[in-house]
Amino acid sequence: MRFAAMIGDITSALIHRPVTEQYPFERRETPERLRGILHWDPEKCIGCGLCAKDCPAGAIELIVLDKKAKRFVLRYHSDRCTFCAQCVFSCRQDCLSMSNVDWELAVTERSGLICHYGEKKDVEEVLAGNLTHDSV
Amino acid sequence: MEEHKTAQSFTVPIGPQHPALKEPSHFRITVDGEIVKDAYVRLGYAHRGIEKATESRTWTQNLYMLERICGICSHIHGMTYCLAVERLAQVQVSARAQAIRVLFAELERIHSHMLWFGVTAHEAGFDTLFMYSWRDRETVMDILEELSGNRVNYSANILGGVKFDVDESRVESILDGINFLEERTHYYLEVVSTDALFLQRTHEIGTMNRREAEVLGTVGPTARASGVNRDIRIEAPYAAYDQFPIQITLDDSGDLKARVLVRLRELFESYRVIRQILKNLPSGDLTVRMPRRIQQGETVLRVEAPRGELFYFIRSNGSDTPDRIKVRTPTICNMMSVIKLAVGHQLADVPMILAGIDPCFSCNDRMVMINQSNKTSHRWRWEELRQHGINYYQQRTA
Amino acid sequence: MESTIISNELRNLFSLVVFPGGCFLILLGLSYEWVDRKLLARFQNRIGPRWFQPFADIMKLLSKEEVIPDGVDRRLFIGLPIVALTGALTAGLYLPILGVKTTFSFPGDLIVTLYMLSLLTLCMGLAGANTLDRFSLIGASRTLTQLFSYESPFLLALLGPALFSNSWQISEIIAYTDGRWLMLTQPIGFLVAMIALMGKLELPPFDAPEAETEIVAGALTEYSGRGLALFRLGKGVELVIGLTLVSTLYLGGIANPLTFFLKTLALLLIIVVLQALLTRLRIDQTVGLWWRYGSLLVLLQWLILILLQGSAT
Repeated sequence: MRFAAMIGDITSALIHRPVTEQYPFERRETPERLRGILHWDPEKCIGCGLCAKDCPAGAIELIVLDKKAKRFVLRYHSDRCTFCAQCVFSCRQDCLSMSNVDWELAVTERSGLICHYGEKKDVEEVLAGNLTHDSV
Repeated sequence: MEEHKTAQSFTVPIGPQHPALKEPSHFRITVDGEIVKDAYVRLGYAHRGIEKATESRTWTQNLYMLERICGICSHIHGMTYCLAVERLAQVQVSARAQAIRVLFAELERIHSHMLWFGVTAHEAGFDTLFMYSWRDRETVMDILEELSGNRVNYSANILGGVKFDVDESRVESILDGINFLEERTHYYLEVVSTDALFLQRTHEIGTMNRREAEVLGTVGPTARASGVNRDIRIEAPYAAYDQFPIQITLDDSGDLKARVLVRLRELFESYRVIRQILKNLPSGDLTVRMPRRIQQGETVLRVEAPRGELFYFIRSNGSDTPDRIKVRTPTICNMMSVIKLAVGHQLADVPMILAGIDPCFSCNDRMVMINQSNKTSHRWRWEELRQHGINYYQQRTA
Repeated sequence: MESTIISNELRNLFSLVVFPGGCFLILLGLSYEWVDRKLLARFQNRIGPRWFQPFADIMKLLSKEEVIPDGVDRRLFIGLPIVALTGALTAGLYLPILGVKTTFSFPGDLIVTLYMLSLLTLCMGLAGANTLDRFSLIGASRTLTQLFSYESPFLLALLGPALFSNSWQISEIIAYTDGRWLMLTQPIGFLVAMIALMGKLELPPFDAPEAETEIVAGALTEYSGRGLALFRLGKGVELVIGLTLVSTLYLGGIANPLTFFLKTLALLLIIVVLQALLTRLRIDQTVGLWWRYGSLLVLLQWLILILLQGSAT
């Protein structure tokens, strides 16, 4: 029965610095496997659409401009994404990866949260509202 | 606010908004001075309709839905679902994947128990212990972030295996973290057993003997602290627990101090199993191919979540969405013991008794419809449920 | 003659309102509250608030709307915080704050100081009983129960030096002890006074009246805006006055500002260490502790004092 069981910790706390990391001023290095924002490599994509089918939040839309010529545009809703990385594992061609440096994703306007990935002219065509293509 | 006085007693509402509760629920405690005369619980504030929502999503999507039933036991929900669906599809997962699943499960148990320990210390008013134990919890969260990429909601499971491998380079840092945590756990065990004032708040409070624990249906560390010899990892080993067995941690006293001691001692078992797994990790693939449509059938599975026995029932009708998934979480079993034990104690003990069962309210909201007039069961559609809710609240405020 | 009377009055008014009473005492109270919070945070291995945090808290509270709940007596609700702060500030008139010799002392002012401190606690209890919220009622009953349990050991412990110096006037006690440290000759009384001071200030382990995890905020649950700001100012002032009182009576008086800060901050350090180490006691355990050990210890101290005085004469 003691009265001051935590005295050891308290006295050593006076000697050591506080453990708080003052976040915006001190940033720790992120681990390698951190699941930040999604990145897509259009070179390897074959258009199977498994990523869009398996996403639990409906955050991926694969817009097919021309399946034979492998022209696809990936519309990624980062506001719906739960960062589960299921799409990364569903894709058999290794097109998708989650960044480990882009994780500070807070914005003040919602419009910046929808990303379009693809070749420049393909993305421009999609953004222009050309709706004659299919999407998955 | 009106006061409710009947003779000499009045009711104190704890919740839905209260600093003692981390999640909303409502306890109506009738006190006479400081002694509790009666207690009544009303749950359901965190009900989100997850079981119904799983019926319209594919098997892969449901994994992530069910993982978010709870934040602190998310891995075990995901793991149970995967084990049950793999059993239905009759797919054999590699030994390495099962071992990694158990590794994550034990790390999650450490995370959950450290969080609970800090919260209990805070409810007792011992803020120093709260701050220090949460500081040490950061170590296990860092380990989990290194392994999986996220500190909570690790999403390590995938139907057919695990997503993340444990390679040699990470083993060293995991073992360092575990050694540090073991040293600190010894220290906390000593603090909890010898600090005179903390003992005054936990010794012989909320005492439940073995018979009462069995009758009330308590599970998990709450029951083991009363001497009930039940641990699903030992009785019905799942995943890799037959290769890496667990020894049971029991205590006879059944009071709040016993519950604290049982949970802290369980941590030592977790450390031991983690070291064993890291030393003897079996080789194999990480994932196995799973069909998109799971064949028809139904299965049940029980696992040991950090709070007790978690129970899943899954029925498939051969399509790519499940027919019915039913989840029964451990907190709802332990909740009745709080109501029964609170009577006769002081008001200051009620948050402590509640914290002693390690409540996780977001897990425990389920909807059960009991139709007693005829014995048939009735199935509601989503729109019927919604309309019922609207009518109920309109009638209440009318 | 006229001009000296007027300048005397002006000087009294100045020392009452600005320095060392009134505004200065309030600022000092907020600074001591900051030291308390910062030291506690450092003991818990975290950073703690910056120096202007208590001032910012009061500024924020004063700028918010004061919500008056239904069913309370409006005049009591608004008036009790004012009376509480007034009581705390009045208690400071008879003490050598910052080493400045007080101009208002009169025979018996020790008792008045102690009763003014109790006035603050009584006001908080009444404020809780006034609101009809369940948490406030339980908090009020706990505040008053605790008041009845630590009050007599506190009073008796602080009256030990008065017995020794044969006077109820603080300035005379200071003059009689003449820089001698009564802590060394009356250690039990000092110990009881320190622990009872923690009870008076409702610091852990005696913070059952405002137990955050059981009854939200106790007696002050329904207070917001200006009322809450005044109560918090009162608590800060009470901290300074309590520390000054104990260090004046037991640590040999306060001669200049440097010794004031050194002695009161040393006592504050001891209080913060005890705060960090101990769990909150339940209200029945608090009452049991005080009526069993507190009272017995202080009565033992008085017995020793009386015997020594009797043998000296």
